[in-house]
Amino acid sequence: MNASPVLLDVRDLKVHLRVGPVLVKAIDGVDFQVRHGECVGIVGESGSGKSTMARAVTRLMPNVAIGELSGRLTFDGRDILGMPDAELRRLRRGRGFSMIFQDPLGYLNPTQRIGRQIGEALARDAGAGADQARIRTLLDEVGLPDPANIARRYPHELSGGQRQRVMIAIALASDPQLLFADEPTTALDATVQLQVLQTLYRLHRERNMAMAIITHDLGVVAELCDRVYVMRAGKVVESAETVTLFENPAHDYSRRLIELSTRRHTRGAGA
Amino acid sequence: MTEPILRLHGVEQIYTSRNAAGSGWSTVRAVDGVDLDVREGETLAVVGESGSGKSTLAKLLLMLNRPTAGEVRFRGRPLAALGPADRQAYRRQVQAVFQDPASSLNPRMTVARMLGFIVRRHDLAPPAEVRAFLARQLAAVGLDPPESYLDRYPHQLSGGQQQRIAIARAMMLRPAIIIADEPLSSLDVSVQAQVLDLMRDLHQATNVGFVIISHDLGAMEAIADRTAVMYRGRIVEIGGAIYARPCHPYTRLLLEARLSLDPRRGRIRAMSAAARPEAVAAAAGGCRFRGRCAYAVDICARAEPALRTVGTDGTLAACHRAEEVGAEPIAI
Ligand SMILES: Nc1ncnc2c1ncn2[C@@H]1O[C@H](COP(=O)(O)OP(=O)(O)OP(=O)(O)O)[C@@H](O)[C@H]1O
Ligand SMILES: Nc1ncnc2c1ncn2[C@@H]1O[C@H](COP(=O)(O)OP(=O)(O)O)[C@@H](O)[C@H]1O
Ligand code: SF4
Ligand SMILES: [Mg+2]
Ligand SMILES: [Mg+2]
Repeated sequence: MNASPVLLDVRDLKVHLRVGPVLVKAIDGVDFQVRHGECVGIVGESGSGKSTMARAVTRLMPNVAIGELSGRLTFDGRDILGMPDAELRRLRRGRGFSMIFQDPLGYLNPTQRIGRQIGEALARDAGAGADQARIRTLLDEVGLPDPANIARRYPHELSGGQRQRVMIAIALASDPQLLFADEPTTALDATVQLQVLQTLYRLHRERNMAMAIITHDLGVVAELCDRVYVMRAGKVVESAETVTLFENPAHDYSRRLIELSTRRHTRGAGA
Repeated sequence: MTEPILRLHGVEQIYTSRNAAGSGWSTVRAVDGVDLDVREGETLAVVGESGSGKSTLAKLLLMLNRPTAGEVRFRGRPLAALGPADRQAYRRQVQAVFQDPASSLNPRMTVARMLGFIVRRHDLAPPAEVRAFLARQLAAVGLDPPESYLDRYPHQLSGGQQQRIAIARAMMLRPAIIIADEPLSSLDVSVQAQVLDLMRDLHQATNVGFVIISHDLGAMEAIADRTAVMYRGRIVEIGGAIYARPCHPYTRLLLEARLSLDPRRGRIRAMSAAARPEAVAAAAGGCRFRGRCAYAVDICARAEPALRTVGTDGTLAACHRAEEVGAEPIAI
């Protein structure tokens, strides 16, 4: 049990979105906590609101028609919902929180080379020369071979899995205290996935970086997470220690999730 | 044997782009000499390294890219030589589902408009019944209640919902084959199971075939008749039994890298915090997997192994030691 102080504290979060005349209750009263240095998993049905929660928490909600946004959201004791944009930007760049998105193409700048985009996300203290070395180290850490070559490319010149790793490098560039990752490894093959997860885990341990990982893959949860939240239709239906969830799931949906995953990992370990 | 629906022969795709200084060009051999038959009505999985050319292969099969060398044939006819009528047939018979659903759907159109357009163009339903027809298509991919999705724009849908729309769109024309690039990766396991069942049902009902690119080895083992494994632009192994008896060291590595589902036995957490993934040297000449291969011997540095028959079950593998590799049990 991790007894460190709470880093991210979400209370009764509601995010209702407008679709024409209809109000979609994407998040409908969610409580969610991440402690310092903790790794938390978020699983749940497609459309259950996982990505919306991640975007609300990191306050990255471009072109969304918000019907209602309420609740209490604090990071390291500071109110995020009411925070001025300038302060929020500082929080993102210097040891605050970073976000890895589910669809990297939508968040990479198509007209800028990869190296420059990572450079802009670096924590500000490094000098220009150090920057180049840091960029290459980051690309190397997320398992991209030939970092100098990748740094020169544009996003459309990369495969899906390569773009996903670039997003991870950008998110790590600011040396965050909390990494919020939405399906960080779905576009990666098994060996690269293992390598990227090892890197995340190493940074998590070495830098005491807290992680919140949204995933459809219970293998990621079993391998990395201390605790899990299970979401359904905009609500958290179960939250438990990882071992408890796997061995003693309380909610029907959790049980079904584990059963389906186990059936598929036929030859997987432990199943 | 009947003619394959799609056949690749010696296909290469080289991408060229300007380097940062603007002083020269750099090239990437995304697909580097691929021979492949896709049989009528089969489900062929394509798995492998990220960046190994799987999506590029899909684009070649879909005529979205023209190969820089080699040839793609549709039912025996070279794609480059199809006349207008054959081209039309090809466009209807070969459908696509892409990796990134958000970018494959028109952001300015509602679902009903986007799909209704196809219904009218191909006369799939009488005008008065278009909405009801579309609702049935959406219900078939698990969107419930289907009517509530018809008037949404793509950005108003979750990733999984977008992907189901893309699958519904591809299936509407009752194609002979669907080329799907990571159709499952934005779906949760319960929807994945639904989509896989849906593919099976459609296959039963219409004999539609699939080429499915995926990183989900468990799902591919469950659904595929054959699986092709790609590594750096090449198919290094292909066959129906690769999960039980991998004959290429890379296939073996992939299978052994699968995550544990037992939180008490996870290997990443067990790893010491200081451990770093090993660097992978790029091998020039000889076998392209040599730098990572635990089986490498002298000949691997001298001769690039060709894809060849191994054993008696129709498996092909590109490895000098494929017989020995295939004889070893999988270590998990
Ligand atoms: N911009 C938006 N406007 C209106 N509704 C939206 C918007 N974005 C998402 N939704 C709706 O909100 C709900 C939650 O969406 P969200 O993307 O957060 O789900 P998710 O759990 O991440 O799903 P997936 O795993 O498929 O990505 C869905 O019903 C979706 O249709
Ligand atoms: N438009 C492009 N220009 C230059 N290189 C590209 C382009 N698209 C893909 N590539 C490169 O081609 C290789 C194969 O890419 P891709 O087919 O997308 O791989 P996969 O789908 O297996 O991940 C990668 O090295 C990638 O960086
Ligand atoms: S040919 Fe040699 S290096 Fe290549 S995979 Fe086989 S054993 Fe390994
Ligand atoms: Mg999502
Ligand atoms: Mg791809």
